[in-house]
Amino acid sequence: MNALVFGASAGIGRSLCRVLAARGDSLTLISRDMRDLEAEGAHCRAVYGVEVDCLAMDAADPRKVSEVLTAYLAASDRCFDTLLFPVGGALDNDLVRSSVDTIERTFNTNLLSVMTAVSVLLPRMATGRGGAIVGFGSIASIRGRNSNVAYAAAKRALESFFESLRHDLSVSAINVQFYRLGYIATQQSFGRRLLIPVPSPETVAATVVANLGRHFGSRSLPRFWLLAAIALRLLPWRLFRQLRF
Amino acid sequence: MSPSSDKSRAPQSSFRAISFDGNDLGRCTFQRPDRYSFFDCMPATGCVIARGAGLSYAAASFGTNSVSVQMTSFDRILRFSAEDGIVEVEAGMRLGELFNFLATRGLYLPVQPGYGALSIGGCIAADVHGKNPHRNGTFLNQIESLRLFHPRHGFVELSSDRNPEVFRATCGGYGSTGIIISARLIVSPIPASGVALEITSVADADEIAPQLVGAGNHCDFVYSWHDCTNPGKHFGRGYLVKGRFVDLPAATFTGPRRSQMRRLSADSRAAHGVCIYNRWSTKLMNLAHERMRRNGRAKVQTLDRVLFPIHASEIYFRAFGKHGFHEYQALIPMKSFDRYMLGVRNAILKAGVPITLASGKLFGGNADLLRFGGDGICFALNFPRVRGATDLMHDLDLLLGELGGRPNIIKDSRLPRSTVEAAYPEYFRFRSIVHAWDPDRLFRSELTDRLGL
Repeated sequence: MNALVFGASAGIGRSLCRVLAARGDSLTLISRDMRDLEAEGAHCRAVYGVEVDCLAMDAADPRKVSEVLTAYLAASDRCFDTLLFPVGGALDNDLVRSSVDTIERTFNTNLLSVMTAVSVLLPRMATGRGGAIVGFGSIASIRGRNSNVAYAAAKRALESFFESLRHDLSVSAINVQFYRLGYIATQQSFGRRLLIPVPSPETVAATVVANLGRHFGSRSLPRFWLLAAIALRLLPWRLFRQLRF
Repeated sequence: MSPSSDKSRAPQSSFRAISFDGNDLGRCTFQRPDRYSFFDCMPATGCVIARGAGLSYAAASFGTNSVSVQMTSFDRILRFSAEDGIVEVEAGMRLGELFNFLATRGLYLPVQPGYGALSIGGCIAADVHGKNPHRNGTFLNQIESLRLFHPRHGFVELSSDRNPEVFRATCGGYGSTGIIISARLIVSPIPASGVALEITSVADADEIAPQLVGAGNHCDFVYSWHDCTNPGKHFGRGYLVKGRFVDLPAATFTGPRRSQMRRLSADSRAAHGVCIYNRWSTKLMNLAHERMRRNGRAKVQTLDRVLFPIHASEIYFRAFGKHGFHEYQALIPMKSFDRYMLGVRNAILKAGVPITLASGKLFGGNADLLRFGGDGICFALNFPRVRGATDLMHDLDLLLGELGGRPNIIKDSRLPRSTVEAAYPEYFRFRSIVHAWDPDRLFRSELTDRLGL
């Protein structure tokens, strides 16, 4: 089995690498900094004895993503069973009145690079033996707020893209999944005093890999965020407008 | 609700900082980077200090004016060669996880302290010792080279050949030279899958030194346990544990599990408010412990259980409660050991503090700079932070000064600078090396500030 993890150097991406390597998958790891990738690749090779390829690229540049992936596929005969995209992030100044740079960078990182990568990699999916493509959104996209504006918009668009992808691949054996992630114990929640349980990236990664064969379209992770999402959606505008989070 | 976007930086947050022995410093600032680009933009101003597992007895990984850079995300094996006997690991790797990796390949690190959750970076920074320092010395002996980061110098390779002075100041330098990024460690074949433990009685304090020396010559591990709650003529009564490697039929190394390695932290240790140790409960527990061990006599344990005994006794530390405990671990020259024990007895008698643990081991290793090493007997005392405890620590400082011993800096969160200056002849040399390497003194903790480093 071959898996590709886009956003492999930290957080959920790194944990996914370990879980996949532990079950014997060969890995293609993608991240911005080759130093992080080489360290993670070396660890997976040494501990789990799996083959690892590392590709450095910046998700903020979708054209470069396309270029590097195309060159990689031309040089490699690897077919993929699993594509995972735990990639993205918001900028500190992601407000309604943002600069074009902020908006462009946010959409490139969270949406366009993922769409580009899927488009380039899809022909190399091992359709004969099934497979899975997994996207990662955020509960921030459930309802637009006055912060994380471009980020929430990009993640909501990403969810729409995964719906389209699922629809398109419904005639194939490839399973398309999309997770709306809540708070996870990564840099995202470091030092925040939260009243809700915050799962570790290891727990999330184990859940994602265990679910790879299941057909559910999209879901919230941790699951209790589904209730929060429903409540947030149903919250009358008069109350919602007063929330600051 | 969104991840931080600037991947080069790591968010800062303030937490209540408490050393493992219970010294509460209030709120300190922490960061937990998970990418190498973090170091590219680390400012060369302000104060920082690296943090590993956060289990040092002294406040070596935080300070009220410093940002603690938690290295736990850098926990990977970077290179491994069984033929060369070298493993290269990042500084945040835990001892127990490395043990699990190496043991399945028939290898191990001969020098490692008793808790698997400790980080490799922390072990290097404190130049820790294991069960058999008289044979294997300290952690320094198994470091081939290491990679250090300092904003002024960038990433630097250190070894006994490359930047030897900074290398020696980093191993046992308590983080004052920079952030240890990774290390190449020399691994050894596991001699046998088990350790046969033989227990012999020690009648009183006078017997400790001769018995340790006698056993040290022909045993792979040797340490002693003593009851110091009775300052009468049987003060120091206890037993000697002599370990020899033996092969176990069908032995498997499970090693410490990840969940076990997360059980103990400075916060969780202090979670229970009340200290259960007092004069009477300690007497009773020591009596029961000694009887149990004596009745057990000879037994065989797997190597991982011998190397990481604290995984079975976390409750011992929790029972000190919120206020914590003191450990006074000192290295005493062999010729002065009897006088030291006499002084310890008088000091305990005067302070009236319940001694929950007293343990000795033969020591070796290098004694330069601020390293806790050299020939002699290492003797440790534990007691709760109760009335009289601070006076007892002070009396022990004076006693040690008289006899020419040295206290273990990493085991004592109140050790005064004057005691360290007097006990470590190379204190000023260490200080000048560190100041030459880091003139702005960027890397500082409560420990380095307290010791005037």
